[in-house]
Parts: sequence; C-alpha cells; structure tokens
Amino acid sequence: MNLPISRDPRTLLTAAFLVLALLIPLFIGSNLYYLTILVLMLIFIIYASAWNFLTFSGQGSLGHAAFFGLGGYAASLMAVRLGLPSLVTLLFGGIFAAVIGVLIGLTCVRLREWFLAMVTFGFAVIIQTLVVSQLAPVTGGWDGFPVPKLVPPDIQGYLMIEYYLILVITIATILLFRSLLKSRIGLALAAIRENEVEARAAGINPVPFKLFAFGVSAFFTGIAGSLEIFHFGYITPEIFGIDLSFWPIIYSITGGLGTLAGPVIGTIVVTLLWDGLNAVGLTYARFIIIGILLVLIIIFLPKGLVSLPDEIRKRIRKKDT
Amino acid sequence: MDISIGILSQVAFWGLYSGCIYILLATGLNLIFGVMKIVNFAHGEFLMLGTYITFFFFVITGFNPYVLLIGSVPVLIVAGIIVERLCFRPILGTGKLNEIFISLGLIYIFQNLVAMIWTDEWRSMKSPFADITIALGPLQLPLDYLIIIVVTAVILIGFYFFLQKTAIGRAIRATSQNRKGAMLMGINVEKMDMLTFGIGAGLAGAAGTLWAVSGQVFNPYMGSIPAIKGFAIIILGGLGSIPGAIVGGLAIGMVENFTAFTLGGSWKDAVSFILLIVVLVVRPTGLFGEAEE
Repeated sequence: MNLPISRDPRTLLTAAFLVLALLIPLFIGSNLYYLTILVLMLIFIIYASAWNFLTFSGQGSLGHAAFFGLGGYAASLMAVRLGLPSLVTLLFGGIFAAVIGVLIGLTCVRLREWFLAMVTFGFAVIIQTLVVSQLAPVTGGWDGFPVPKLVPPDIQGYLMIEYYLILVITIATILLFRSLLKSRIGLALAAIRENEVEARAAGINPVPFKLFAFGVSAFFTGIAGSLEIFHFGYITPEIFGIDLSFWPIIYSITGGLGTLAGPVIGTIVVTLLWDGLNAVGLTYARFIIIGILLVLIIIFLPKGLVSLPDEIRKRIRKKDT
Repeated sequence: MDISIGILSQVAFWGLYSGCIYILLATGLNLIFGVMKIVNFAHGEFLMLGTYITFFFFVITGFNPYVLLIGSVPVLIVAGIIVERLCFRPILGTGKLNEIFISLGLIYIFQNLVAMIWTDEWRSMKSPFADITIALGPLQLPLDYLIIIVVTAVILIGFYFFLQKTAIGRAIRATSQNRKGAMLMGINVEKMDMLTFGIGAGLAGAAGTLWAVSGQVFNPYMGSIPAIKGFAIIILGGLGSIPGAIVGGLAIGMVENFTAFTLGGSWKDAVSFILLIVVLVVRPTGLFGEAEE
C-alpha cells in the first residue's frame, strides 16, 4: 500500500478525481453557468460530508439546515457589520454553528432515531422562527440582506478563483475527516455507533464523543453555509428551509452512508442528474425522479452507489457457481 | 370584557378545530406505529393529497364538500395500501433510519406529482356554510367548525368500534400487541400491515377534506409540517396510545393557537417543537412512553 504508485483501484480513482477537479475549469472556464454548478457542487460536498460525519457516531439529523443557516448568518453579519474579509468570517460562521451544535447536541445525546430526527427538525424550525421574528432587527427578517461576495466580481475570472479556493477547502475538510476517523476518536465513535452499552463497558464515555461529532459536523456545515451565502451575495431565512435539511441526506444515502466517498459521489451524481434534468425541461419531474431514485436505492442498494461495484461482482460470482 | 371573551373563545375554537386535524393525523400515525413499529414521515402527504382530491371532486361535482369524505377516504386508503406494499414492506426490519429516508423520497414524489397535476399555487375552497355562525351566549361559533368537530368525533367513535368489535379490528390489535403471537394464531400480519397503513392514510385523507372545507389554504408542500406535528403529538401522548393521541392533539391545537394569538403567527409552528423538546429533555421516551429495547 505504501508504494509510490499504489495499485489500489480506490487510490487511483481518487487521484483521477482530483486531477479532473483541478483541470475541469480550464475546459469550461468561460461558461459561468457550468462554473456555478461546480462551485455549488463543492459546497454541497462539504455540507453532505459534514452531515455524514454525524452518522459515524450513530446519530443523525433532519435539521442540519439550522447549522447551515446559522453559519451563513453569523459569517455574513460579521462581514457586513465589521467589514472583515469573507475568508476570516467564514471561520467565525463555522465556530458559531459549532457552539450552537454542541448546545443542541446536549439535548440530543440521550435520544435515539425518531426522537432525534424530530428534535433536530424542530430546532431548525425554531431557529428560523427566531430569525424572522424576534431577531428581525438584526437579520432583516424575511427580506434578508446583501453580503459581500467571497471573491469580488470585478476581478477577472473571479468565479474561477472562487472555485479553486473552495476546492482547497473541500479537500482539506475531507482529509481532516479521514484522519479523524482513522484516529482513536474514530475508533471510539465506531464503538459507540455499533453498541453503546458495550462501548461504555469498554470504558468509553459516549457523551463527549457524541458532542464532539455534533460540534465538528455543525462546524463544517456552518462553513458550507457561509460559503454558499458568500457565493450568492445575499442571505434570506429560506436558508433554514426543509429542503436544505434534506439535501445532504439525499446525497449521502445515494452515495453511501457511513463512508467518506459516499457523500462526494452522491453529491456529484445527484447534482449532475438534477441540473441535467433541468436542462431537459423537467422542472417538477426531476423531484419525482430523485424521490424514486432515493426509494430504489434504499430498497435495492442500501449501502449506496459506492457499493455498486461489489454488488455487481457478487451477482457475477453467483451466476458462475 | 365581552370582546376579549369573544376573541379568546374564537382562539380556543380554532385550537379545537386544528386539534381535530392533528388528532386524525396522529391517530393514523399511531395505529401504523403500533402494528408495524415504523414511523411514516410522509404521512402529511396523505393529508395534502386528501385536500386536493376533495378540491378536485368539489370542482367537477359541486357536491357539498362534507359528502366528499366518501370520495377522499377510499382513494387515500388505496394510496396508503400501494405505498405500504411498494415502499415500506421491503424495508421492514432493516433499521429505523431507512424508514425515515424512504419517507423523504415519498415526500418528494407526492409533493411534485401533485404540483405537476394541479400546479403549486395556493388554493382554497369555500364551504357552503362559510357565512353561518351560531350564537351561544357571547360566543359566535362558525357552523363549519362545529361540523368538523362533530365529524371528527364520529370518525373516532366509528374507528373505536371498528377496532374493538370487528374481527379485522381484533386482528389488528393482536398484531399490534404481539406480532409473532398473532402470526401463530393464524393472522396474516402482512395483510394487517397493508390494512393498517390504508386506514392510517384514510384518516389523513379525512383530515385533508376537513382542512379544505374549513377554508384553509393549501398547496402541494403544506403536508410536512402538520405530519411532523402529528408525530410530536404521539411522542407527547405516548407511542401506540390512541387516547394519548387525542389528548395530545387537542393540547397542541390549543397551545399553538394561543401562542399565535399572544406571540404572533410566526411562532405557531415553533411552539409545538419547543414543547416537544422540553418534554424529551425531561423524559427521553416521551410523556407516557415506555423504555424500549
């Protein structure tokens, strides 16, 4: 495995992906529409990977839009009120989301499955309500407010610069998740996910690890949220919408829950399908097609698209014998 | 004083009315949970479908909308049976997260199917009794709300007798108490799953008709929030307990409308979740729920 040129097909595929990600803007460079799709794809890869990180600890969330939106609001308020550069406030957006994430996590650590789903969903609704009512003097209510862009649009090729900036952040995020999962923390999370009682018996206190997972997941979700807002240059409370909570789930399931590659592949496949169907003019039908795809994947390919090669190999082997 | 009593009673009446919708949703969810031990987060889409089917029949036949319950409930029962057979049966027993995820897929399918057929504008319909109110001392009670409350009560009483007195009802209860035991007694539990899911969807369809008749607006995306509140209600009232669903439904309906009255309409949705979170922090298994596993 440690050879300079690895023979592991997965390593080769990852390398191919990276090269493609680096080169692709050079081919479509002038087309802003395609570049925008790519930028959003990267942002959602961060978001889906962050959501997926939570499932490594055996938890889940139906309300991650709460952190996505909180990150966006915190970062953009900093940028607008204090005039700090977007790249700095980005970090603040993540930290703010992480703090709230740990607080919400505190109410969630004892809950399982449906209860957890309900509570996380509820928090997204409550936070949106706060933002449009009591906090409206600060947040601008339903109207939102304009935000400076990540890269000022008057620079030539600003979208291309933005793409590479976000690509670096995306790769760094995934590498960090990878090393976290390979560390002792990752082992502890896996133990808790598989059997919480046995993990306790082995001397692992699940609470700090679960909170840690919540905090890390919320942090990167907050970063993704800030990036999206700095890409569009405008923020409204729709960022807390139910749809935005569901997308990372759809991406992660399509790609494969509980794997690092899953959310990445899922986001790419679903986004391409999504924009492809839109280009063909199937505006509503594409939701239905995605819905059907989701149902089919859960029933027939519960481990997601990453397990597709294994499944095919299994089928072939069955036929041989 | 007269005015404030008038307004308060109006709010209480709204609460009672929205409580009725929630009770119908929560009872269905609870029945399905009891028998299949799954939660269908897409249950609200049956409510939404119910409003559109009522609307559709109302436009083509012009019948009194309350009569249209005869139309919406059977259609939804069939829809529920199809959904159970195609989507939930294959994943039964494969993990609790899968049922949440499959519900997400169903939400997208239903919402956008309806949006394709009827467009996604907000719609509403007018009941023939919309302008009639009945004076009761200082209270002005809209006739529609009274009818809705009576209809809900009749449906629930009918549902109760169905569960208690008929052979199918007994089989459903047996499956709900002990699936294996029921199987050993010769009950076809898979048939019971299908029936239960159908009945649950039918109750949601009835709620949809009542929603539309009361003059509330609806669009293809309106189902998710009421359904999730329905689920909050059965957590509050206890998973599997039908009386709990009724009490919980009324409580949420009242709390919601009084909150909207005092804190403003934007808090209407949030307050039921605050209530839910407070309850779950204190008792992670719900108010009357027993520790599972």
